[in-house]
Amino acid sequence: MTLLALEHVDRRYRHGACERMVLRDVSLELDTGELVAVWGMRRSGRSTLLRIAAGIEPPDRGVARFAGRNLAGSKGNMLGGGIGYCRRGLGDGDGQEVLEELMVAALARGIPRSKARARAFAALERVGAEQCGARTLRELDTAETVRVTLARALVLGPSLLVLDEPTAGVDLLERDRILSLLRSLADEGLAVLISTGDATALSGADRALSLTAGELRGSFAAPELAPVLPLRRRASG
Amino acid sequence: MRSPVSWALLGLVIQRPSYGYELVQRFERTYEDALDLSSPSQVYAALDALEGRCLIERMAVEEDDASRQPKPHYRATAEGVHDYRDWLVAQLHAERRRSRLFARQVAMLASADALVVIERCERACLREASDTRPAATDDAQIEGPTHSAHLVERLVGEEERLALGARLAWVEYARRQLTTAAAQPSPQPSPRR
Repeated sequence: MTLLALEHVDRRYRHGACERMVLRDVSLELDTGELVAVWGMRRSGRSTLLRIAAGIEPPDRGVARFAGRNLAGSKGNMLGGGIGYCRRGLGDGDGQEVLEELMVAALARGIPRSKARARAFAALERVGAEQCGARTLRELDTAETVRVTLARALVLGPSLLVLDEPTAGVDLLERDRILSLLRSLADEGLAVLISTGDATALSGADRALSLTAGELRGSFAAPELAPVLPLRRRASG
Repeated sequence: MRSPVSWALLGLVIQRPSYGYELVQRFERTYEDALDLSSPSQVYAALDALEGRCLIERMAVEEDDASRQPKPHYRATAEGVHDYRDWLVAQLHAERRRSRLFARQVAMLASADALVVIERCERACLREASDTRPAATDDAQIEGPTHSAHLVERLVGEEERLALGARLAWVEYARRQLTTAAAQPSPQPSPRR
């Protein structure tokens, strides 16, 4: 089932008199249980593409839909309401413990403290970062930061995860552990969209696409499976 | 010695001494789709060639069953190990030459045709890149032959992923250059005198 659909999306940025076309006529579909990776160099438009896919910023032209709903009017409200977005880095969190930091979004939605704590811990466990719960954000290394960012997105139970360069700056062994983790989340039924500037992070994706000067290339939609035909019952007698 | 099969076989003998039939099996297991064996007899012919060049030598092995004809086992000579290292490094140069040839042949095409090649090249790279798998990362405790197999798999996988990444970056660069070249007016032929 198509969960995310971008249809003929354009995006421009204006700086004074200068205007730069960041995305040009970009179309993309993402199904539940799919891991799609977008490779592009710096200034290719990959982060903009992800922010539009997460409903954080609207396209100038075209439509971004999540579960059939136009994201344009959501102003990022779908975050936590079905979409989990992970940008690079976490900030310093004012010295707060990771577990407390992860509980914030759940508490803000009226979830009782004990349940919010349980959810936060379960999310940390799911990403293999339970040992980070009692640390502050400043005490995490790059790979732990990625895992905790992912856990924060998982606390509210999204059906779509959008991650901006989840393997940037991590060592090679951690890179593959993170990619395997994302693969396993997709195998559990989440739709996962990642961007990367490092083509080795395309490994294990269901589809890999490239973004060059705002133009997306590759397979925009999951290949259609052959229809499943019901078995014909053998005539008895 | 030009045959890649002979060099591949030498690599197996260096890894550990072995006899003909076992080498056929190890060859197919180790090189899978990277190198084809036309028939098992190719291995025996290559063993003769390697022995003739003193890159491998027969070693005495006692057969458990005395009634059986002893199988000739081979091990690598010091010269064999030396030559094999040199050959491996030379392969990198050969790979570079193939890449240079490819780039030249693309550049010789008209821009529109070259862009089509670039597009198809990119699609193939993206498909291959997503077909690769992240390395299994929790095998640090595995020992013995399984550990060796994991190491081979990891080195082969990483080489492939990095090569595909380099190819994708080149594709982007080539596309920009070709697009710019296509937009420029072609030079007017100089009038004949």
